[in-house]
Amino acid sequence: MSASTSKQNLVPKENLVPKETLVMEHLVSLTYSEELTPVLDRYVDALIDGRIVGHKCPSCGRVYVPGKGYCPICVVPTTAADEIEVSDHGTLTGFTIITPVAYYGQTETEPFVYASVLLDGSDSNLGGQEIVGVPHDQIRSGMRVRAVWKAKTDRSAEGVSNRGWGSVSSVIDAFEPSGEPDMDRAKYEEHIF
Amino acid sequence: MVRFGDMSQPRLVESTLEFPYSRTLGPVVGAFLAGLREHRILGIRTRDGKVLIPPLEYDPQTGDALEELVEVGPQGIVGSWTWVDDPTSKHPLDRPFAFALVTPEGADSAMVHAVDAGSIDRMSTGMRVRPRWRAEPHNMIDDIACWEPTS
Amino acid sequence: MAVTDIAVVGYAQTPSSRRARESEVQLLVPIVTEALQRSGLDRREVGFTCAGSCDYLTGGPFAFVSNLEAAGAWPPISESHVEMDGAWALYEAWVRLQHGDIDTALVFGSGKSSPSIPAEMWAQQLDPYYLAPLGVDPASLAGIQARALLDAGKATERDFARVVVRNRRNAKDNPNAQVAGDFSVDELLAAPYVRAPLRKHDLPPVSDGAVAVVLARGDRARALCERPAWIRGLDHRIEVHQPGMRDLTTSASTTLAARKAGYDGGPLDVIELSSTFSPQELILRDALGIDADSNVNPSGGPLAANPVMATGLVRIVEVAQRIVEGTASRGLAHATGGQVLQHNLVCLMEGD
Repeated sequence: MSASTSKQNLVPKENLVPKETLVMEHLVSLTYSEELTPVLDRYVDALIDGRIVGHKCPSCGRVYVPGKGYCPICVVPTTAADEIEVSDHGTLTGFTIITPVAYYGQTETEPFVYASVLLDGSDSNLGGQEIVGVPHDQIRSGMRVRAVWKAKTDRSAEGVSNRGWGSVSSVIDAFEPSGEPDMDRAKYEEHIF
Repeated sequence: MVRFGDMSQPRLVESTLEFPYSRTLGPVVGAFLAGLREHRILGIRTRDGKVLIPPLEYDPQTGDALEELVEVGPQGIVGSWTWVDDPTSKHPLDRPFAFALVTPEGADSAMVHAVDAGSIDRMSTGMRVRPRWRAEPHNMIDDIACWEPTS
Repeated sequence: MAVTDIAVVGYAQTPSSRRARESEVQLLVPIVTEALQRSGLDRREVGFTCAGSCDYLTGGPFAFVSNLEAAGAWPPISESHVEMDGAWALYEAWVRLQHGDIDTALVFGSGKSSPSIPAEMWAQQLDPYYLAPLGVDPASLAGIQARALLDAGKATERDFARVVVRNRRNAKDNPNAQVAGDFSVDELLAAPYVRAPLRKHDLPPVSDGAVAVVLARGDRARALCERPAWIRGLDHRIEVHQPGMRDLTTSASTTLAARKAGYDGGPLDVIELSSTFSPQELILRDALGIDADSNVNPSGGPLAANPVMATGLVRIVEVAQRIVEGTASRGLAHATGGQVLQHNLVCLMEGD
């Protein structure tokens, strides 16, 4: 087809819209629906029961909380037979204090702690945990903490999904200092994240 | 946002991920969408004289930079099309409609858009359509709400 | 000049299923292990690892990083990822092997489409200005493509149904297939349209699945595998993104990729095409110059199992496996990306 087959009006250059004067607001919203993996389903059952369980690699002995269904170091599958319970006491291995800015979806308004907790008996951190019962300026790596459980009737599976970093917020409100002496750095430095 | 449905085994997790994009549009896409506000459809001329719709900053065949915007349409011709009986929540119409390749008069390519024909029986390749303009333009491609048969 | 003594020496794939309860990594762990075992290669010997997946499928940011755990990424390994079908991961590994300093590579592709609403999610792969805001879904574009074929007089709806009948029949012999069985053309044509002129059976199933491949070069390949499936040529080409700016009834990029891959039109014992929608098999046959009685998609193809991001790499495995097992000497695999055959890869393979 030729361009000259119909009437076309050239748009004068001065009528062109300058760069970046127009912005398109496009909210992409995608919904997902899936069953919890069998490993996480059992993990949630235990949490609601007040127990924290993980998978112990039959090859290297490392313990992952929650279990993954495999050991990422040895690349061997793990199953319910490899499930073990770990403590609800642990060590804070790393943290940041977030001063929230009002971005889309941010519901926090006050500074809050985002900490990694290595539970006793586990080789993997629970990420993104809130720390309470201690002023922010006294929070430190190596601090010993324990879980503040929700009342049994208030526990739900809501915070657990197949993606994410092991949130337990629908079962455990936060972690608080346990009063034990700080852990030697050498004992957790292989687990910092 | 994570919420839970059936609590019996296995647990079903529903989540909605949202990505709020603010896209600057540049001199070509911006001009095209600005044109829609004035009920004008702009294509862009390639060096060999063809008019591309929707307009791009470049000729996809040659890589040439393009800048000569030309008005096309507003009426157009339906090239190929498909009938959507069960629109998704992301489709521009919430009733059965056609997605079609629409070539506005004077253009040498086609744009994908919706045709609100009411029934598949009113659809045919080669049919003439005209844009139905969105009442309150918002700088998006659906400022053409849809196309509709001229007869 | 490409090195031509790179071969597939190991492979494994999961069965395709409508909804796998395991995580995507859990799908990968056993098949990565199986592919390595089949080749006899220890995973610590792998020179380079490349994976193909798409985080949008499960909505998991950085899901591709988790997937890497299936390769055993500690101590650190040399690896890469493509947000594309695993066939392009294989392409990257093949290019990497050309350097000559390593002689083995591990490739995998995986996808769980079941958590998403694919029709809504896939609109996000399109132009964000002109197409994505309209929620244009893959089946709608395939419907437009199908009618273009009909309008051009290149095919009939009966031809589409014939493609489905043959693929579903072939899939009966494929333990990994999800949709298989004996159907008649007339019974299929009696089904309602979902994107006229396409019916549900013209569309692929929604699938979860994964596939892994081990590549090796030269003497290493011969040592690892009795009958390696040599990659004689591998090329991919892309066309203009806007569907209204190209002829949807042809696939120029497939034709070009096949030529660049060295396909000379000679006889092929097996052809596996990523014909995700039934009319696309007709377009691809035409683009490749393959006649009607060729052995196309003996696995049943994507109409029988479509684990997106693995689908194209599965095609390569289906051809390679037949060469390794000695039931084929020369074969061609095709992978596609983007919408309505926008981007196409051709892999030409031969046995010794």
